[in-house]
Amino acid sequence: MSIDKEESVKKLFTAESAKVDTNKGDAYYDELYISCQKRIEDLKKLKPLNNRMDFTESIEDQGLERRDFLKWASATTAMLMLPASFTPLVAEAAVLMNRVPVIWVELSDCAGNSEALLRSDGPKIDEIILDLISLEFHEILQAASGHQAEKQMNEAMEHFKGKYLLFVEGAVPLGMDGNYGTIGATGETFVDHLHRAAEGAAAVIAVGSCATYGGIPAAAPNPTDSVGVMDVIKGKPIINIPACPANPSNMVGVILHYVLTGSIPELDSLLRPKFAFGYRIHDNCERRGHFDAGEYVEEWGDEGAKNNFCLYKLGCKGPMTFNNCSIIRYNEGVNWPIGVGRGCIGCSEPDFWDKYAYERPMSNANIKAPTGGVEKTVDEFGLGLLTAAGIGIGIHAAASAVAGKSEHGGEF
Amino acid sequence: MKAKAGYIQVKRRTASLRIIHWVNVFSMIAAITTGLYIAAPYYQTFIADPAVDKYVMAWNRWVHFMVAIIFDVTSIIIFYLTFFSRVDRPWSKMIPNKKNMREFSAVLINLITLNRHKNFNSAHNDSFNIAYFFTFHFLMVWMLLTGLQLYVHGLGSGLSSVGTWWPWMLHLVTDWTIPVSGWMVGGGPTATLMDVRISHHMTMWLLIVWVVFHIYYQVWRTIFWKEGDISIIFGGSKYVKIKDNEENKEA
Repeated sequence: MSIDKEESVKKLFTAESAKVDTNKGDAYYDELYISCQKRIEDLKKLKPLNNRMDFTESIEDQGLERRDFLKWASATTAMLMLPASFTPLVAEAAVLMNRVPVIWVELSDCAGNSEALLRSDGPKIDEIILDLISLEFHEILQAASGHQAEKQMNEAMEHFKGKYLLFVEGAVPLGMDGNYGTIGATGETFVDHLHRAAEGAAAVIAVGSCATYGGIPAAAPNPTDSVGVMDVIKGKPIINIPACPANPSNMVGVILHYVLTGSIPELDSLLRPKFAFGYRIHDNCERRGHFDAGEYVEEWGDEGAKNNFCLYKLGCKGPMTFNNCSIIRYNEGVNWPIGVGRGCIGCSEPDFWDKYAYERPMSNANIKAPTGGVEKTVDEFGLGLLTAAGIGIGIHAAASAVAGKSEHGGEF
Repeated sequence: MKAKAGYIQVKRRTASLRIIHWVNVFSMIAAITTGLYIAAPYYQTFIADPAVDKYVMAWNRWVHFMVAIIFDVTSIIIFYLTFFSRVDRPWSKMIPNKKNMREFSAVLINLITLNRHKNFNSAHNDSFNIAYFFTFHFLMVWMLLTGLQLYVHGLGSGLSSVGTWWPWMLHLVTDWTIPVSGWMVGGGPTATLMDVRISHHMTMWLLIVWVVFHIYYQVWRTIFWKEGDISIIFGGSKYVKIKDNEENKEA
């Protein structure tokens, strides 16, 4: 963050951090309901795009019942912070997701967000719904490669110009004129690739911490000068869905919100949807009681660990991390990091690798970070400064004691 | 206390200022001991005690926030008194004009030459001390703003026991500390709440260093100036040699 730019200074005094308005009043929701209903009617008139999967059939193919789907719809309605009366609309919108074209590009990343969707033990409803979206381009999933893939992307961008949602996974390396990452047969740099893909997009959705803030590629010393999508793309609606990997439920939530209302959800100052990133993990953590009681796991596998004590002393960053994993968990509520007995590493926060993920309380961190170890340096610097002051005082006191005997002392 | 023969009593601090000073002292001790626990819990609870009887972190946070609020209020009072006190005009010594700069260097020279050159009026609060206190107030304001920023995220829903205006106001007044802390700590292009926490922790160390020198300097003055400076903060007055004082006035 530099404050030498006018825009940054303006931002500095108007910055708004997460504050969640969960109840906007009946009048607001009544009006929203009518507009959503109208939008769904309009979408129904459109034909499905390339993806002609039948949603009801796919659910049955995976051995799930309609009842599971309805349960999912009411949970998703709650997650989006909409009143329960919206449940039927959410269920309808989910079926209509194949009317929205999606282009998914990969930059500096491990494809972990795509993997998170693909590698669950059995597809959950979130994943089936992501199968259903009209995915026009996705390097990992498609059969095409090389010139063929490029052609496919160009065609998709041309055909759905101004309508498609662009999902971006991975950081954008800017160093060496962007040549740290190139893609395709023409060797286009990631930056150019992103600019080209974003130009015709209705909105850009940065998925995962790398796409959001630069993530691990941007960790100190950041040799490739990587940044997030929002630092590169200007003048487009951007939605960030950080976390490592981003929770598929939140991806579905954002697309659903777009399908349902035709607009992007309410965002916080870091452009994250408030329905997902409005609260800290700590606020809804199942181990919060142990935090307040001062009951901490002291080391892995000790008596406290067996009793599900708080993981704060092993570096849990739940108190500093905004995300909804303590509420919705992963893989449709199966489990989440703190549930399996290891602390939060703050993976959905900026610079998480340097400033959150050191698995120690903030004052004991010794990972190499921007200044050579963030809190550790702070404490050592502080203690060093204190020692220096003490030595200085000692010298002055000793000198005073000796010199004080001088006859001239205080007589000047 | 009556002045010794040959000395004149100089009233320096009113009772209210002295009370605020000692409230701040005990608040600071409490804030540091609880703050270090919040940063990394350095003592353990008995594992066999039920959680409901312990509540140790919660008590530490309670004390930490309580003294923070006390600090907030004393800061507002001190800010008011700095400009509108009937008895003292400390703000006039804060302005970096020629007179104050000269006094500042005179006091500094006195300190580093071990009281060999005392060419200033020591009866009243001098520019050096005032500048030193200004540093404290500056660090303290930063501590309070970053602290309230960290605090307001516990009120995530925008509600509090005193109404929605309180978290709203805290967001309005302290949200800018995130980018400023991010700029100070460094790292990626996006500032994060952890930057505020690091800055809050770092500022604690600066304040501890400030306190160490403050105590030392007041004791040293008492010993070397022989004017009973230390009693300013207990009884409110110091004692200046009549002759010295008059001479200085003339000068």
